[in-house]
Amino acid sequence: MSQIREPGFDRAVALVLRIGSFAAFLVMLTGVLAAVVVDGHTATRIELAGVLIMLITPVARVLVAMILFLREKDWKYGAISAGVLLILVLGSLFGVGEH
Amino acid sequence: MTILLVVLGLFAGMVGALSGTGGGIIITPMLALYFGVPIEQAIGTSLIAVITTSAASSSVHLQRHTTDIRLGMTLELATALGAATTAYLVGYINRTALQVLFATFLLYGAVMILRRGGKTEDEQDEFVPQLSGTGFTIPDYEPKNMPLGLGASLVAGGLSGLLGIGGGPIKVPVMYIFMGIPLIVATATSNFMIGVTAAASAAVYYRRGDVVVGIAAPMAVGVFVGSLLGARLAMRVHSKYVAILLVGIMLYLSLHMFVHIAGKYL
Repeated sequence: MSQIREPGFDRAVALVLRIGSFAAFLVMLTGVLAAVVVDGHTATRIELAGVLIMLITPVARVLVAMILFLREKDWKYGAISAGVLLILVLGSLFGVGEH
Repeated sequence: MTILLVVLGLFAGMVGALSGTGGGIIITPMLALYFGVPIEQAIGTSLIAVITTSAASSSVHLQRHTTDIRLGMTLELATALGAATTAYLVGYINRTALQVLFATFLLYGAVMILRRGGKTEDEQDEFVPQLSGTGFTIPDYEPKNMPLGLGASLVAGGLSGLLGIGGGPIKVPVMYIFMGIPLIVATATSNFMIGVTAAASAAVYYRRGDVVVGIAAPMAVGVFVGSLLGARLAMRVHSKYVAILLVGIMLYLSLHMFVHIAGKYL
């Protein structure tokens, strides 16, 4: 049996990606327009907010999928999603490195 | 410069959506060669564009119900781990070595597209699923060879973290040939995984200060609009011409990078 074909699940995950990327686009666009017009510190901060929304969107997608798996009592895939989430969080906490 | 970056993003997003390659592969060398961005910052910055493309395209695949979320999530354990690890290591790699690696990969990618006769990854006309009453008819399958799939994903993720690319050319054939996944599902699932993989490495680049916000934002704005336009145009434009254009750009950029690197030592 194939593992796909859960239309509701697919739609929910797709919605997270759509909302996240569109919100990031709107915020970044605002920042870019502000940068063209005034070119100041505020513009950079708006741009940064947009970039961070974009960066967080895939993380939110993993989080939402994890919650959906857990609600279905699909513990195996709930745990796998939690593992992916853990790698993402650890990477952003410790992944500093240097030049 | 801001407007130029939006236009470049627009172009890369459009070519990426039309050819199914993502477009990040031409953004990094352009930032490095023509905008004076150090290679590691060019990679970190283009990762934001890669996440943007992946989010837009995988939401389309999801709504066609061709993505195997369970398989994707499982393999993401490996791609995210590989990507975060190599992204971390980039902080210790010699800049010239990274440039040589990137230019070599660019050349290799161009040759691979040529060898497929101008066909890019997303083009599998014979595998387009038929619409039946209830939805798509995808043959039943059970993923096989999971350890091999995880190993290949680790390598694909590692390459992604190192060079800021998607790793589709590794994941898709492994899923299709060795894991018994239908090609249309393998392509959609690979696309689905790119966002999380890129985010795992982008977080590391960001923490290191290698995501240039003033470049990433206008670029991603262009890429977002460009990939939407490209998806619309895909029905009308012959993808073979787009592939030829892409190969030409990739070859040129690769050559220019090699000349640039050689110039520093001669």
